[in-house]
Amino acid sequence: MDFPIFHIDFIGNRMLIAVDAILHVIINHALAVGALPIIVLLELIGIRSKDLRWDNLAYRLLKIIFIITTTVGALTGVGIWFSASLINPAAIGSLIRVFFWGWFTEWIVFVTEVSLIMAYFLSWQSASKSPEAKLKHLRLGIFLAAFSWITMAIIVAILGFMMDPGNWMTKRTLLSGLFNPMYFPQLGLRTTLAMVMGSMTMICLTYLFTRHDLAFRAMVLRTISTWSSAWLAGLIIASIWYYQVIPQHMLANIPVAFATQEYASWNGRLKLILIVGLLYVSRVLWLSVKHPGQVHGAKYLVSVLLLFAMLGQFERVREFIRKPFIIGQYMYANGIRVEDYPLLQRDGILQHATYASIREITADNQVSAGREVFEQACTRCHTVNGVNSIRGQLKNMYGEKPWQSEAIAAYVENMHGARYFMPPFPGNKAELDALSVYLSSLQKRAAAFNGAQTNGIPKPDKISASTFYGTLPNLANTHGDLQ
Amino acid sequence: MTPPIPRDIPLPLPAPEGFLEILLIVSFLIHILFVHLMVGGSLFSLVCQIRGLKSPDYEKLAYRIMQTVTVNKSLAVVMGVAPLLVINTLYAPQFYASSALIGDMWMAVIPLVTVAFLLAYAHKFWWNHFINIPELHIGIAALETGLFLFIPLIFMTNVNLMLFPEYWPQVKGFFSAMLLPNVLQRYLHFISATILFSSLFFVWWSGRKSFQNEVGFSRLRVISVRRFFYAFAFGATVFQILTGLVVFASLPPQGMSWGFTLLLMLGGLLVLPAMWWMWQNLTHPGHLLDDRLKEITACFVCAAIIMGIARHDYRENALADHKSAIAEKTANYQAAVKDAREQAQLTAKTQESQTLVPGESAFNLNCAACHHPTLTTVGPALQEIKEIYANNPAGITAWTKAPGKKRPDTMKMPGFSQLSDDELTAISQYLLSH
Ligand code: HEC
Ligand code: HEC
Repeated sequence: MDFPIFHIDFIGNRMLIAVDAILHVIINHALAVGALPIIVLLELIGIRSKDLRWDNLAYRLLKIIFIITTTVGALTGVGIWFSASLINPAAIGSLIRVFFWGWFTEWIVFVTEVSLIMAYFLSWQSASKSPEAKLKHLRLGIFLAAFSWITMAIIVAILGFMMDPGNWMTKRTLLSGLFNPMYFPQLGLRTTLAMVMGSMTMICLTYLFTRHDLAFRAMVLRTISTWSSAWLAGLIIASIWYYQVIPQHMLANIPVAFATQEYASWNGRLKLILIVGLLYVSRVLWLSVKHPGQVHGAKYLVSVLLLFAMLGQFERVREFIRKPFIIGQYMYANGIRVEDYPLLQRDGILQHATYASIREITADNQVSAGREVFEQACTRCHTVNGVNSIRGQLKNMYGEKPWQSEAIAAYVENMHGARYFMPPFPGNKAELDALSVYLSSLQKRAAAFNGAQTNGIPKPDKISASTFYGTLPNLANTHGDLQ
Repeated sequence: MTPPIPRDIPLPLPAPEGFLEILLIVSFLIHILFVHLMVGGSLFSLVCQIRGLKSPDYEKLAYRIMQTVTVNKSLAVVMGVAPLLVINTLYAPQFYASSALIGDMWMAVIPLVTVAFLLAYAHKFWWNHFINIPELHIGIAALETGLFLFIPLIFMTNVNLMLFPEYWPQVKGFFSAMLLPNVLQRYLHFISATILFSSLFFVWWSGRKSFQNEVGFSRLRVISVRRFFYAFAFGATVFQILTGLVVFASLPPQGMSWGFTLLLMLGGLLVLPAMWWMWQNLTHPGHLLDDRLKEITACFVCAAIIMGIARHDYRENALADHKSAIAEKTANYQAAVKDAREQAQLTAKTQESQTLVPGESAFNLNCAACHHPTLTTVGPALQEIKEIYANNPAGITAWTKAPGKKRPDTMKMPGFSQLSDDELTAISQYLLSH
């Protein structure tokens, strides 16, 4: 609406964020939050037992952690910002205004975390000179592990808020947003899951690094597996807790019919993966504690992959519950505020979209006007030809039958009723018709759909270059109170 | 050219504007300092490595420089988050617009930086593996340096584009934004600052007591390494002033003001004594390189701070009109939104008072998306359903609770177990009677 529309048609906008974010979360959970405590543990055992092998192993593991977290890990984190601000600037811009201090604190913690991991890793060798230096070094590691957990704890609050603004809608303060009802269950689930994921990942790497010293391998694997089992017990409890909170809570939030059904399928899938995954991982860990030398490496690898899948599913459910909103009850996923709907549905979305090139719909420009309506209303979630493509969806619905524009219009007008994960159509009747004509034209032919990064923006017209609204008088002067 | 006037995010700023501006200037300067050390370090490491082909001591030096790069690069990234956050807050309408206009390249920053960092690690951690294949090793270093030099150009293009909304309509993608009349000068000015600050840093770094031990030169004397950096610092300063003048001359008039010009002159004046001292140290055999190093550094740091303030001042001037237009438009829009909402509430009220047919609203909410009165849309038309279930509302209710799969060319209808019997009966009756 207020921003030039960036669009990548082949992977789609949602997918772009999803890939970046999932990668980031996996690295953060498996290699930072969950893995750093293991490194500290190994270093501690090394100091206690005076067996250099522990120390060397810890260093080798840390090197991998260091390399990945300070490159892909850190940059996918920044990448979430970049992609979100390209894809849904209205949403990220609003969140920043509300959560500025939350993010600012997050940044300070992040700076600390990065400084600590550099200090911890880069001073490893020089710390071996004296026992005192070694103890100091160990303390660095403990701080580091703590800070990486705090980073996560803050972000979980922000994510939780996006899902459910709790009483923020009425209070609009930072704290009311932070302590929303989902916070603690989610934090519990993430913490335990991260600990299990991290230790499992370290087990795999250890398995690889200790090929030539099987006795030592058994010793280390037993230690990490024991640690991991303890967290696994926590994970089971946390999952149950999370499940207790989430369903009622979200069902109450979802206004419309299909919720239960759509949700049921996700919910079912998550539950299945969780149960199967937890059983499998428990078994592997059990064996690994009992007979650490005899568990095959592939089993550890499968466990790690199962845990990754669990995390992925969990993130999807989290995303899913949020729809059709991007900020619960405040802004829809298309970047339009709930509040703006009456205006847009009355005047038309093109009248108010700063960067639109067509304002009036006539019989001749229906297809190109429809394209613009589609760009404004649907492209945050759909592509034309790529991932979640609108052509694919329409084909699914109508197959080879002609895609009649009247039928499409009837669908789009009510789609939020039938498909609650989509927001209501934000425009007026003429735009609905134009959109439908455009969509039905896609059955035969779809011109490449590019965003503003390729097409640029149109020359400003009267609407885009002026500060007032269509035929409305300059209301800024007539209405005193504008909140 | 008229600029497009978008609307702002209609939520209050999280802190007073002036405070955010100070935060922006300070955090940006810190970020840029580490960026300079990262890019300059990578560049110097490459240069030393190439010289190392002839005199091996330079290769040792290159390795030591690389160790600073891997630290500084991480700090450059984390320190960049704060200014990014503040820019997002203060300049949402401009910054998001310019980012979208160069969206591909802007997004590419993430993979490019990741690759550059991984190359830097490969360059450093596998130093000894590469000792016998210098082509490969230097190739990696060159690629890494190339990326480090290119990435700031993307940032430069974006922060420049956001300043000039009147150029937005003519921009088609990254390269056209990069070729706007004043970007490349600004970029050269930036690069010379990179060389200046990094070589100054290395003069200090190679003057530490422990340096001789760390680097373990066999023939090379530390003093000649330091002179090498010192000469670069001096040359870069000259270049810095020249490019600065070009940038000043080519800046679009939108943001010019006397205050801005005075700030620039003040910053420039501060550099002069530093240059004088540096020249003395370089040319007089009796002088040590460390003479007045503190004062020289202080001059440059003050100049950088003043330039940072001037840069912000220019941005504020350039965007002043645009910002106030945006504020006005946002207020107007909010008023229009309020108007429309009140009007809609009124119509809703009058509609409510008219009696609704039972079942109609539930039908519209749940079924209308797929069932049209006369057309076959996602599901069969109501006409068809009426024929099948004439006088049989219970049949519709039963189907809707647990739909089967009948028609081969449609999707399966989802079930509505969550609707109560009463609701379903009302829907069915409504459906049959209309
Ligand atoms: C919040 C993101 C979002 C927005 C905005 C959105 N959609 Fe969807 N849409 C979806 C999702 C998710 C699906 C289901 C994809 C799947 O599961 O295959 C979907 C499915 C569809 C389908 C197939 C429906 C079915 O019953 O199978 C159509 C048609 C469709 N969308 C059209 C549109 C149109 C037209 C717009 C713009 C007015 C739009 N959508 C806006 C997310 C969105
Ligand atoms: C997502 C789209 C969708 C929605 C929403 C929907 N239906 Fe259907 N409906 C279908 C499809 C598709 C069929 C055809 C199914 C088949 O033949 O296999 C169908 C078929 C029917 C039939 C005909 C069954 C027959 O015996 O031929 C009835 C009756 C019906 N729907 C009632 C309803 C009612 C009542 C609602 C609202 C509560 C509703 N539908 C909502 C898609 C939908």
